[in-house]
Amino acid sequence: MAMGMAVGELGFPYWNPLRRRFPPDSPFFASGNVERELLAKQVALDFTEDEITNLQTIVETESRRISCPIVGCPERLKSLDNFEDHYKTRHTASCSVCSRVYPTSRLLSIHISEAHDSFFQAKVARGYDMYECLVEGCGLKFKSYKARHRHLIDKHKFPTTFEFFKRTQLSKKRREKLQRQRVPKLKHEEDKEEASSDAMEVEDKASLDGLVSALSTLTTSDTTPSNVSFGRRHGRGLTFVPRSVHREKPTNSSSTPGSKT
Amino acid sequence: MDPNYPTRRYFLFAGKKIRKNLSGASESNISDAIPNQTYLKKRTKLRRLQMADDGSASNRRDPIKSSVGNVAGQRRRQQAVTVAKERRESLVRAKRLCRVGTNGGDDEDAFVENEMMIDEEQPVLEAQTVKAVEELKSAVQSQGKGVMQKRVTALRELRRLLSKSEFPPIDAALSAGAIPLLVQCLSFGSPDEQLLESAWCLTNIAAGKPEETKALLPALPLLVAHLGEKSSAPVAEQCAWAIGNVAGEGEELRNVLLSQGALPPLARMIFPDKGSTVRTAAWALSNLIKGPESKAAAQLVRVDGIVDAILRHLKKTDEEIATEIAWIVVYLSALSDIATSMLLKGGILQLLVERLATSDSLQLLIPVLRSLGNFVSVDPKAMLTILVGGQNTEENIINVLAKCLRSEHRVLKKEAAWVLSNIAAGSIEHKRMIHSSEAMPLLLRLLSTSPFDIKKEVAYVLGNLCVESAEGGDARPRIIQEHLVSIVSGGCLRGFIDLVRSPDIEAARLGLQFIELVLRGMPNGEGSKLVEGEDGIDAMERFQFHENEELRVMANSLVDKYFGEDYGIDE
Repeated sequence: MAMGMAVGELGFPYWNPLRRRFPPDSPFFASGNVERELLAKQVALDFTEDEITNLQTIVETESRRISCPIVGCPERLKSLDNFEDHYKTRHTASCSVCSRVYPTSRLLSIHISEAHDSFFQAKVARGYDMYECLVEGCGLKFKSYKARHRHLIDKHKFPTTFEFFKRTQLSKKRREKLQRQRVPKLKHEEDKEEASSDAMEVEDKASLDGLVSALSTLTTSDTTPSNVSFGRRHGRGLTFVPRSVHREKPTNSSSTPGSKT
Repeated sequence: MDPNYPTRRYFLFAGKKIRKNLSGASESNISDAIPNQTYLKKRTKLRRLQMADDGSASNRRDPIKSSVGNVAGQRRRQQAVTVAKERRESLVRAKRLCRVGTNGGDDEDAFVENEMMIDEEQPVLEAQTVKAVEELKSAVQSQGKGVMQKRVTALRELRRLLSKSEFPPIDAALSAGAIPLLVQCLSFGSPDEQLLESAWCLTNIAAGKPEETKALLPALPLLVAHLGEKSSAPVAEQCAWAIGNVAGEGEELRNVLLSQGALPPLARMIFPDKGSTVRTAAWALSNLIKGPESKAAAQLVRVDGIVDAILRHLKKTDEEIATEIAWIVVYLSALSDIATSMLLKGGILQLLVERLATSDSLQLLIPVLRSLGNFVSVDPKAMLTILVGGQNTEENIINVLAKCLRSEHRVLKKEAAWVLSNIAAGSIEHKRMIHSSEAMPLLLRLLSTSPFDIKKEVAYVLGNLCVESAEGGDARPRIIQEHLVSIVSGGCLRGFIDLVRSPDIEAARLGLQFIELVLRGMPNGEGSKLVEGEDGIDAMERFQFHENEELRVMANSLVDKYFGEDYGIDE
């Protein structure tokens, strides 16, 4: 307000062309963001002529289906795309030992190592870090199933109730057998067995014979299942704990007379 | 957590092909644009798709029902209008309710008539939901023959209840203990139908309130796992959808998803050329990287081949997928310098320009324009050096921005002006290019006629055109007289003086700064007369006792210098 103040001193902020940049969550973009979602919402209320035609086509083609050529697979698919999809998921990503299906090759191979690989178990017994973190790209490995589980919860914010390789429900006979085995053991050995059977949960049908015969010279009763069935594993059944896991147990277990570790 | 979240956020996202011409729809209420009867018919079709479970198909509607339906239809309309209003008030609305699944019409309830659904009262719906959860519980616990089918049936019933109305009974489902059951149904090796239905339920639960979305935490690792390359496509897509809803909730959940390794498999899902899976995955991915933290964007750009996939989609793919990809580009260009330079090197500017030039879809234009803006705002000089084919591309950019200025859509006009303002802040050549382009008359007109937020951006453009970008710190930026004269004679002074009168401090400041340019830069001292002629003195004097000191000082110094005692007779 002073009379003597002239424009030209530092007082006046002259127009200076400057680039203006806004972060993505800036209020500057708010109206555009709202438009995005409003438009998505409106979409649901209208159907074009094309869509109506498409729907009619779907109804017509429903009766023509493709049977899956794999022996023993009962699926009938609606289209070639569906068939390819089915084949990819059911017949290429499954474990050859226990027929379990996994959504990625990586998880499948982790499963195979941890559940069916005696070499894996041997290394674990010798104290190597064998249990990989399940999150792609993490790369860490752990000595035990429990340690890895803890890592997943601590580092990767998995829920505490999480179990990828879930322990399945044993049949009554099996549970009784395990119960009998556990009685003479000390507590810490029991923990060890639980830890390894957590990781195992193998259900073995079609390949059971093969595996059993290979190991039959080493074992006695408890590796022979009380009921055997074939076909693809889908529901419950036997939980087969392979020899390689039993090796972790001490030799005073009644289930392994005369076995070598 | 976003403090501005409204209490309800339900989206209707049909998963079907989007109609391309949505003229004016964004400005008016949804249902105002559609007559009541048509609206009713179309809503019924939507219900038809997702509901029926037996094969009876009838294409005729019972006339008695339609009159009852009108009442229900009106109620629904009102609901839609209310919800639409709420939506407008919110900031980012990032979740989408899944009403038609990723199988599209593939499962048996496609295109089968059911009796017209009259809105259940909410309590009835909730009771049904509780019952459905109980059914699911027993199905999950039981063993023996036919257990698979039982589970799927129970899931399907729950899913239907969660897909029906505008306000799904999510809370009822959660209280009844749905989540642990749904998690169990996601276990590996389950039949695809089971996975699909379970993921669908989770998707719609996640589309609810923040605490409802959070309830999905136990399910996340499994959902992420089922994104794997060996998963069936509809299953992977539905899981991506659920994850997209969770990611859209807020930064905290985004961080959880990132630490669980959700990003790499989701990114790989956009590599195929087409398909609804690509679209859903791209949408989910855009939610995952939106920040404001930059680490997700940085992680994405490290995925092998992702930049190529993005460029490929922008170039060729249909508009729906391109729209979601464009949003990914928006966030990458805002949050990751590495991504920005890789995309620029890959020629993204030309692709963006082509999309802007050829598309009419507002959905697509918004993110494409914004991406362009982000790239330009980084460094227009860099833009210059990277461009291949030099002159043409830059002119094309300006022409395509002019096209946006001509649009009827407010967002496009505003953001296009913003981009132009950044280009105009660049070199003299850029300023000349804009000044001689078809954008000029549009800008002048917009300054006088457009709503305030657009006006402000246009003001930035015009002012930037008249001033050279300053080199030193205290040098007074030089005026480009040629541009100033032509713009003033185009009639912009009034618009700037209006800005001076506005309550927005930033706008008033702009106005005063421009007035200073006019006063200083117009030849033969014409500036003063022009300003006076447009009531500029009056506007400035209003600041004499203004509370904002800076504006007060600015206005007063101008008045003192140019309209002092020795100014004309009128003083």
